[in-house]
Amino acid sequence: MKVLAFYPDRCVGCHICEEVCSQTWFKVTDRDKSRIRIQEHDDGSISALYCVQKGDCIDVCPVNALTRNKQGVVLLREKQCVGCLSCVGFCPYLAMIYHPDQSQPFKCVACGNCVDECPAGALEIVEVETPSAPGPQA
Amino acid sequence: MAEKTLSPRRVLAELTYDAPSIKRGYAGQTLYVNLSDNTIAARPVTNLMKEKFIGGRGFDLYLLWHGVDDDTRWDDPENEIVISSGPCGGTTQYPGAGKSIAAAISPLTGVPIDSNAGGHFGPYLKFAGWDAIEVQGKAEQEVIVFVDAPAGRITIEEVPADAPTDTHVLGKWILEHYAESESDRQQMSFVSAGRGSEHSRMGCLNFSLYDRRRQDLRYKQAGRGGIGTVLRDKKVKALVVRTFPIAGNLNAPADLGLLQETGAEMHQEVHDYDPVQNRMRSRGTPYLVQIMDDYDLLPVHNFKFGTHPDTPKINGEVWEARLTQGLPDGCWYGCTVACAHAVDGYVVRSGPYKGQAVIVDGPEYETVAGVGSNCGIFEPDAILEINFYCDTYGIDTISFGTAMAFAMECYEAGILDEAKTGGLELTFGSADDAIEVLHQMARGDEFGRIFGMGIRGMQDYFVEHYGADAQFVRDIGMQAKGLEYSEYMTKESLAQQGGYGLTNKGPQHDEAWLIFMDMVNNELPTFEDKAEALHYFPMWRTWFGLCGFCKLPWNDVVHPKNKLSPEPQKIMHHVENYQKIYEGVTGTAVTLDDIITMSERVYNFQRVFNIRLGYGLRQHDAIPYRSAGPVTAEEYESRAERYDDQLREWLGLDPAQMSLEEKMAAHRQYRTERYQKLIDAVYARRGWSNDGVPTLEKLRQLGMDLPEVVAVVEKHL
Amino acid sequence: MIRVNNRDEVDWREGLTVSVLLDRLGYTYPHIVVTVDGQVVYEEEYDRRVIPDGANVRLIHLIAGG
Ligand code: SF4
Ligand code: SF4
Ligand code: SF4
Repeated sequence: MKVLAFYPDRCVGCHICEEVCSQTWFKVTDRDKSRIRIQEHDDGSISALYCVQKGDCIDVCPVNALTRNKQGVVLLREKQCVGCLSCVGFCPYLAMIYHPDQSQPFKCVACGNCVDECPAGALEIVEVETPSAPGPQA
Repeated sequence: MAEKTLSPRRVLAELTYDAPSIKRGYAGQTLYVNLSDNTIAARPVTNLMKEKFIGGRGFDLYLLWHGVDDDTRWDDPENEIVISSGPCGGTTQYPGAGKSIAAAISPLTGVPIDSNAGGHFGPYLKFAGWDAIEVQGKAEQEVIVFVDAPAGRITIEEVPADAPTDTHVLGKWILEHYAESESDRQQMSFVSAGRGSEHSRMGCLNFSLYDRRRQDLRYKQAGRGGIGTVLRDKKVKALVVRTFPIAGNLNAPADLGLLQETGAEMHQEVHDYDPVQNRMRSRGTPYLVQIMDDYDLLPVHNFKFGTHPDTPKINGEVWEARLTQGLPDGCWYGCTVACAHAVDGYVVRSGPYKGQAVIVDGPEYETVAGVGSNCGIFEPDAILEINFYCDTYGIDTISFGTAMAFAMECYEAGILDEAKTGGLELTFGSADDAIEVLHQMARGDEFGRIFGMGIRGMQDYFVEHYGADAQFVRDIGMQAKGLEYSEYMTKESLAQQGGYGLTNKGPQHDEAWLIFMDMVNNELPTFEDKAEALHYFPMWRTWFGLCGFCKLPWNDVVHPKNKLSPEPQKIMHHVENYQKIYEGVTGTAVTLDDIITMSERVYNFQRVFNIRLGYGLRQHDAIPYRSAGPVTAEEYESRAERYDDQLREWLGLDPAQMSLEEKMAAHRQYRTERYQKLIDAVYARRGWSNDGVPTLEKLRQLGMDLPEVVAVVEKHL
Repeated sequence: MIRVNNRDEVDWREGLTVSVLLDRLGYTYPHIVVTVDGQVVYEEEYDRRVIPDGANVRLIHLIAGG
C-alpha cells in the first residue's frame, strides 16, 4: 500500500510540509489544518504525526464513512461522516485531525505534495505491505 | 412501485411547515398532535420552558402537566405521550449524547412515568424541527403519525388494520412503505410497540435505529411504566420521522471546537481503559451479572437470594461469545462506549415467528437478571427468546421478569396452580411456560391477561379470587407505586432501599444506585450521609434526562487519575466534560451547583405532579418487605449467619435464645423502622414536609413557585 | 488485624498483599480504588504492596449500576 515515510534525521524542522498540506486541502496556510504535524521535542529530536493507512479507524466508524481504496489509502467520505470523532480517539497514532471550522475530521491520504516541497528530502511516498508507526517505513 | 407501496396510507390530517434552523440545541417549537379530532399544531418553546425545564424529561413533564387534568387516567384520551431529547441530544462528538426521553401517565402507577431510550428518534425529531412531540387523543382507526421534514409535512395517516403491529415486522413494513432509498432509511426513525402492549399494562416503546453496518433495523427500548400500552390504546402503530442527512453540526452548537476537544479526549479514554475495566465494548451491560452474583446482589428466585451456582451459564463471558463482536454498537452516533450489542441470526424457537432468523437487541444486564436468574432461568437461548419476544411484542423485559418471578413464587407457594394458569407449570426455571405466558399476553388470552396487569394487579386479583394471603403477596411482590423493581438486591443496603422507594416514578435504578457505596464501601454510615447521597445522585442523574445524555459514559469507564479525587464516586473529571458539552452546545456555562438546581426544579415539579394526581405522599413511598429483609424462613436460613450476627451487633440480642419466628420478627421491626428514619432524613434534605410534600419555601428558593404548582401544594401544607 | 472500609476487621498475616486481600474478601470488581493508610495503590502494585498490621484499608468500588 501507498504510505508516507518520514526520516527524522533529515528533517530540518522548517514546517514547509504543513503549509503545503493545508494549502493543498484547505487553500490556507494554517498549521492547524495540516494533515501532517512536525513535532520538535525538548531533547532536540523531531517526530511527525500523520496517517500510515493502518485502518483501525475503519472498524470504529458507525456509518462506513471510512474506506480503503485500491492503493490501500484510507479515505474519509465527508458526505457520509457524522463528525463523531470516534476515529480520532481510536487512532493509535493520533493521525486523525479535527478543526472547529468543520465537523468532519481529516487525514493524510499520501498525496505526496509535501514530499515534492520538502527541502531536506525528509519525506517520501513508499509502497509497503504492512505499515509501521509514522517514521521511516521498513 | 411507489404508487403501489404508498397506496395503503390515507391522510386524515396534514400540517405543512418549514423546518426552522436549530439554534444551540433547540428547534424552538414543539409538535402537538391530537388523534381524537385530527389536529396538528406547532407550539413555541417559551423562555420559561428553557429556563426551568431545559428539555428532555423536563419538557415532557411540562407539556404533560398542561395536557392532562387532575383526574386523568392512563386510558383517558387526555393522557399524552411526550417524547423529547433535550438540547444536547443529537451531539455526535461525545459518547452517549442522543437519548430520547418518553413520558405519559403510566398504566401501572397512575402517575407520570419517564423512560429513556437510545435509537435515533429524539435527535432526528429535533433535526426535523421539533424539540418534542406531544400525542394526545385516541384514533378511531389504526394510524401512523409521520413527520417528514424534507417534504415539510406532518400527517396523521390511517393504515390498513392488517398492517403489522409487532415491531420487528412493522419495521420492515414501514421501510417498505415510507423509505424509498438507502438515504431515506438512514434518515428515518420510528417509535412503536407491539401486540403485547395491547393486552398488558407493561407495554414498552421501541425506538428504531437504522444500523448502517448491518443495513438493518435495530431497536432500543423505553421500557418502563407501560408507555407502549398507552401508544396502542391510542391506536398508534408508529410515530415516524424522516429528517435531513445526518451530519456532525446539525445541532448547531455554540462552540463546535469545545465539543470536538472534549469528545476526542473522551474517545481516547474509552479506547485506552475500557479493555481493562468493564469491557462495555465487547460485553455491554451483562458484565454486571457475575459481579452482582459475586457480591450476593444478583436477584435470584424473586429476590429471595443474591447468588446462584448456575450464574456462570449466563454471565458476561457467555454473552461476549454470543454477541456479534467488532461492530461500533452505539445506540447513537459517536458512542464509543458502544454497549448496544446484538445477537445476529438468532433462530426463534416458539410462537408466531418460529424459525425466523432475527437480530436480538441486547440482552442487557436487566434482562439477563430479570428474566434469567430472578426466574431461575439459566439458559442463554431462553433468555434470548424472551428478550426477542418482549421487544417485538412491546413488553418491558424488566416488568416481565420481575412479575414472572413473583408469579413463580406464588405458584410454588400454592397460590397458583395448573388449574389457574391453564396448565402452565410456573415453577422457577420453567422457561417454556414463561415464554408461553408472553404469547398469551400478545394474544390477550388465558393467564397472560391476568399476568399483564403487572404485580399490583395480580396481587389484588390473587387475594380477591384465589384467597391469597394479602400480607404475603404484598411482602413478596416486588413493586412499589405499582411499578416492578429493576434487578438489584437491596436487602443489605438501606440507602438503595431509598434509592428505589424514594423515587418519583417508581423503583427504577436510574435515579440512584448506591448499593456499593453503602453496603460494600461503607461510605454512607449515617442517615444524613445516606440522605445526602439520595439528594445528590438523583439530582445529578436527573440532569442526564434533561439534556439528552446517557448515564453510562459517566461512570462505566473512568480515567485512572480519578483515583486521586477526594470524591471518586462523583467522577468529577467526567462531570467537567458534561459541563463543557452543555456549554459547547448551549453557549451557557454551568457550575455543578447550577446542574443540581436545574434537576431539582424538574424533580420537585414531578413530585408535585404526582401529588396533583392523588399520589406522591409518604404513604406512596412504601416498599415491599422483600426489598428490606427476609420474608420467609427459607430466606433467613440461607443467610442465617449474617442475620444472627446482625441481631447481636445491631440489637444486642442473643440469637441462640430466640426462635426463628422471633428472629425474623426482630429483623422486620428493626429494618422497617430504619426505612422510616431514612425517609425522615431524605425528606428533610430534599426540602419536603414530613408527608413528602415540597415546601413552599423550597419551591420559592428553586424559582418553581409557579401558580399551578403552588395551587397543588397549598392543599397539603 | 486490619480495618477495611472503616468497618470490617480482617485478620492480618505476614506478607498480606492487596491482591491477597481482595481475593480473600471475594472482591472481583475490576475497578476499585484502593488506599492503604490513605495512600492510593495502583493496580500494578497489587501483587507487591504489603499491607502492614493495623492498617486502615479502603476498598472503594467505583460502580454505579445501569
Ligand atoms: S518540509 Fe521536510 S524538513 Fe520541513 S518540516 Fe516537513 S518534513 Fe521536515
Ligand atoms: S468522525 Fe466521521 S469518519 Fe470518523 S468515525 Fe465518525 S463518522 Fe466515521
Ligand atoms: S453507553 Fe450504551 S446506552 Fe449509553 S449511549 Fe452508549 S451505546 Fe447507548
